Amino acid sequence: MEIWRLPISASQRGKLISAGYTSLSSLSSISSSDLARELKVSESEAMNILKVASHSRGSETSNASCSIVEGAQSAWDMLHDEESLMHITTSSADLDNILGGGIHCKEVTEIGGVPGIGKTQLGIQVAVNVQIPNDFGGLGGKAIYIDTEGSFMVERAFQIAEACIEDMSEYNRFLRKDFQECKIKMLPQDILENIFYFRICSYTEQIALINYLDKFLSEHKDVKVIVVDSVTFHFRQDFDDMALRTRVLSGMALKLMNLAKRFSLAVVLLNQVTTKHTEASFQLALALGDSWSHTCTNRIVLYWNGNERYAYIDKSPSLRSASAAYSVTARGIRNSSSSCKRIKMM
Amino acid sequence: MTPQSLLQLTSQKCTTGCPILDRLLYGGIPCDSITEIVAESGSGKTQICLQLSLHAQLPVSHGGLAASSLYLHTEFPFPFRRLHQLCLSFRSSNAHHFPVNDNPCDRIFVQSVHTADHLLEIMSKTDPFIENSKNQVPVRLIVIDSIAALFRSDFDNTPVELKRRSSLFFKISSKLKALAKRFNLAVLVTNQVVDLVGPNEGINGLRIGNLVCLHTSGRRVCPALGLAWANCVNSRLFLSRNEEVIREENEKSNGQSCDFVKKKMRKLYVVFAPHLPETSCEFEITREGLFGVER
Repeated sequence: MEIWRLPISASQRGKLISAGYTSLSSLSSISSSDLARELKVSESEAMNILKVASHSRGSETSNASCSIVEGAQSAWDMLHDEESLMHITTSSADLDNILGGGIHCKEVTEIGGVPGIGKTQLGIQVAVNVQIPNDFGGLGGKAIYIDTEGSFMVERAFQIAEACIEDMSEYNRFLRKDFQECKIKMLPQDILENIFYFRICSYTEQIALINYLDKFLSEHKDVKVIVVDSVTFHFRQDFDDMALRTRVLSGMALKLMNLAKRFSLAVVLLNQVTTKHTEASFQLALALGDSWSHTCTNRIVLYWNGNERYAYIDKSPSLRSASAAYSVTARGIRNSSSSCKRIKMM
Repeated sequence: MTPQSLLQLTSQKCTTGCPILDRLLYGGIPCDSITEIVAESGSGKTQICLQLSLHAQLPVSHGGLAASSLYLHTEFPFPFRRLHQLCLSFRSSNAHHFPVNDNPCDRIFVQSVHTADHLLEIMSKTDPFIENSKNQVPVRLIVIDSIAALFRSDFDNTPVELKRRSSLFFKISSKLKALAKRFNLAVLVTNQVVDLVGPNEGINGLRIGNLVCLHTSGRRVCPALGLAWANCVNSRLFLSRNEEVIREENEKSNGQSCDFVKKKMRKLYVVFAPHLPETSCEFEITREGLFGVER
C-alpha cells in the first residue's frame, strides 16, 4: 500500500512525498519526533500519520516489523512465537525436563534406539498426550500415526489412553476441588478416534503418504503431531544406489519440516540403530547414514544403562546435552522408579 | 489414502493351546505381526510351531483363527511323527470341533526352503496361494522354522556381504509384513542362538530387550543374525533350558529321605514386544505338547 492511498490530508501527503517517503515501509522505522522534524509539522500530527500508516498496513504485531523480504520475521518476533509454543508432554517429568517441557511443535524430533527400548511406546504416548485438553496444559489436538513396521497394537494404545484419562482425573481431584463440573468426559475410545492411523507397506507408499499429508492437514487443522514409526524400515532394503536413497530421504525430511512449520505441529520420527564399522571396532549409530543425521532438528537416543532406560539429547539447537532415565510401565512412559524421591503430580 | 479407524482395528490372536502361556502372551500370538522365538536346539521351538499350527484351526470363539497354516521348514527332516503325535492328542481334546474322519494335519501345508533367495521366491508365490485358500479353509498362519538356517552358511564375514545379508533381512521381513497385513496373518519365526565368547562389552554387551543377557544350558548366548534382524521382528520370545539339581522329598518305607534329582527347567521369557510387559513363565514339554507350569 502506498502513501497516496493513506487516509490523510492532501497537504500532509504532499509533504511526505516531497520529503522522500513514498512507501509505507519507509515510515515503519522512523519515530514520530524525527518525522515531525523532517516534515516540519507538529509532533502530534506526525504521530497521527504514523498511526494511520501502521493501521493500514494491518500489522498484527504491536511493534511494526520491518520486513524486507515477504514472510520474513524479526528474531524478536520469533522469540515471542517460540515462548508461546506449547510442548507435548511425554508423561515422564524427567524426560520433559531435558526436552525443555516436552516435544516441541514446529520442529522435527528424531528418536532412535535398539529394539525393545520403548520407541513405539513413546510414539503412542505422544499420540495420546497431544490430546490432553488445554485446561490440563495440553494441546487438545489430534495425532497422525504412520506405522511402517506393524508395531502399533491397539490394545496397548487403549491401555495408555485409559491411564492418561485416569491421571487427568487424579489431577482434577487434587487441585480443582471446586470445579465439580470439570469432570473428565473423555473416554479411551475418543482418544483412539482422534489418532489417524496409516499403515504403510513400502517406501513408495511412505513417500506418497507424506506428499498427501499436505492436503490431509489442510482438511484436519487440529492435528498437532505426526509420528512416523519407523522412518527407517522401508529404506534399508532394495536401494542399490545410495545417492538416490539420500536424495529421497532428504526430500522427505524437507517436506516434513515444511509441514511442521506451516501447520505448527510436532513431527516425531522413530529410527532404528545399526552398527557402524570403523576399522577394527564397531559403533552404534542411528540408521540411514550421516546425511540423514543432519536433516532433523532434534535427535534423541534411547539406550540401556545398567537396568534402566535412558534418553540422551544427541543433537538440538536449543537444548543442552543431557540424559534422563525413564521407564515403560503398564500405564505408558513414566519416570523411572528409582528417581521418585517424592510423589510428583502431573 | 484414508486413515484406518483404530476402533475397528482389532488385533486378533492365535491361542498356543495352553491357558497359562496364553495369559502370559495376552491371548496368544498376534496377527498382522511377526513374532520370533529364539532358543538353542532342543528347547521346544518346533514344538510350539507345530502346536500353533494345530490350534490355529480352532474356531475363533475358542481362541483359534479357524484357519490352515503354511509351515516353511529349513531344517530337515520335517518332524512328521511328532506332528502326528500332537495331532492325536489335539483331536482327542478338541473332538467336538472336528468331524469324525477329519485330519487336522490336512490343513498344515508344509514346504521346505533351502536358501534365502528360495524363500523370497516362495513368498512371491504365496500371495496367490493364500488368495486361493480363501475358498476352503483360509491360511492365516505362516511359520518359518527356522530363519537362521537360511543365513548361516551363504555369507562371508566381509562388510559387503554382511550388508547384503541385512538388506535381505529387511526385504524378507517387509514381504512377510505386507502378507501379514494383507491377509491378517500371524507370522511365527524361529531363530537360533550363538554363544557369546569373551567379556560382556562392545557388541557382546549390547542389550536388546528386557533381559540383560540370555542364558541357556549355563551359557551366555545371544540370538543369531544380529542387530539387523532384531529390527525386523515385532516381538521376541526366548526359551531357555537349564539342568537344575533340586532336592525332592521322598516318602520311603523306612521314613522320609530326600533325593537330589536333576530336573530340566524350561522357561519362556518375553524379550521385547510392543504389547507385553516383561514376564516369564516356566513350561514343560510332554507327549501332549508344550504347556506352561504354574508354581
